[in-house]
Amino acid sequence: MSSTAAAGTIDHHHDSTTVTGIPNKKLLMWAFLASDCMFFGCLISTHLIYRLHPPPGTPNARDVFSIELTSFSTFILLMSSLMMALAVNSIQKGNLKSLRWSLLTTIFFGCIFLGCQVYEFRNFVYEKHLTITNSILGTTFFTLTGTHGLHVLIGVIWLTAMLIYSFTGRLTEKDSIDVESMGLYWHFVDIVWIVIFTAVYLLEYI
Amino acid sequence: MSAPATTTHASGHELEQSKFWIFVQIAMLLAVITGLELVTVYLPFMKWILISALVILSTVKFMFVIFYFMHLRWDKAFCTILFFIGLVLAGGTMWALLKLFGAEASKPLTLSAPAAIIRTVA
Repeated sequence: MSSTAAAGTIDHHHDSTTVTGIPNKKLLMWAFLASDCMFFGCLISTHLIYRLHPPPGTPNARDVFSIELTSFSTFILLMSSLMMALAVNSIQKGNLKSLRWSLLTTIFFGCIFLGCQVYEFRNFVYEKHLTITNSILGTTFFTLTGTHGLHVLIGVIWLTAMLIYSFTGRLTEKDSIDVESMGLYWHFVDIVWIVIFTAVYLLEYI
Repeated sequence: MSAPATTTHASGHELEQSKFWIFVQIAMLLAVITGLELVTVYLPFMKWILISALVILSTVKFMFVIFYFMHLRWDKAFCTILFFIGLVLAGGTMWALLKLFGAEASKPLTLSAPAAIIRTVA
């Protein structure tokens, strides 16, 4: 950051104080996300393997899933990603007011996504009689989407904490790396859903 | 020194300004691709064509998010390498598992199969 101090701006993509030139917090987040890729990769593979050879008595996923609701959830999560990107852009410009609105909208979209997921799970359990224990489809589906939902919930809590912190007056342009790291996590949740939407939902309709 | 610094400042500011519209345009593009994916599954084409189309469309969405929203386009290449190490390992694991369990010999035994195996052994 010191390299651009003379210019009066902060270079948000390079940090001359570290060996790699990347802020340590950002590097840590990328390393975590890389490991989380493998975690979700295994969960998605497990689901797909059991979909390749469904045991007798497995319910037809097409009769269970609601593509309309899932598409809406996907759209909401994509829009939340846009708001998160704008939040990072705002803090990098030192615009706290814009940051707060962007964070609030991201939290709102995140809550809508979680609400849709809770509704979907309730519908599957009580209307479609698909539970985590009564079929292999239920086991792999609830484990995968539930783990993703847990990631979204953690993200919403993190966003809320950051929003509250922004009102303390201690969050400045220099701390934009904290918001950026949180943004990386939130976008990761989005890209995992992009894969889940195709691999788990859309493939059932072909 | 001051002239280049001012130029850097100005170009940096322009980049930050243009990023706003880049993000908005990409979000719209992602929404359109999601709509295309939905339409794709109902098209009367061969299964492999539809699956390939879906994989390509979701890969495009994935790449747009990681390179623009996650700033990999503007960050140091090491971040991209680090993330792609995880991605390649995850993809390789998925491919290996799907190949292993997709094989004929990996099909789960049906209820009648154990009886047939017992008869063969006897």
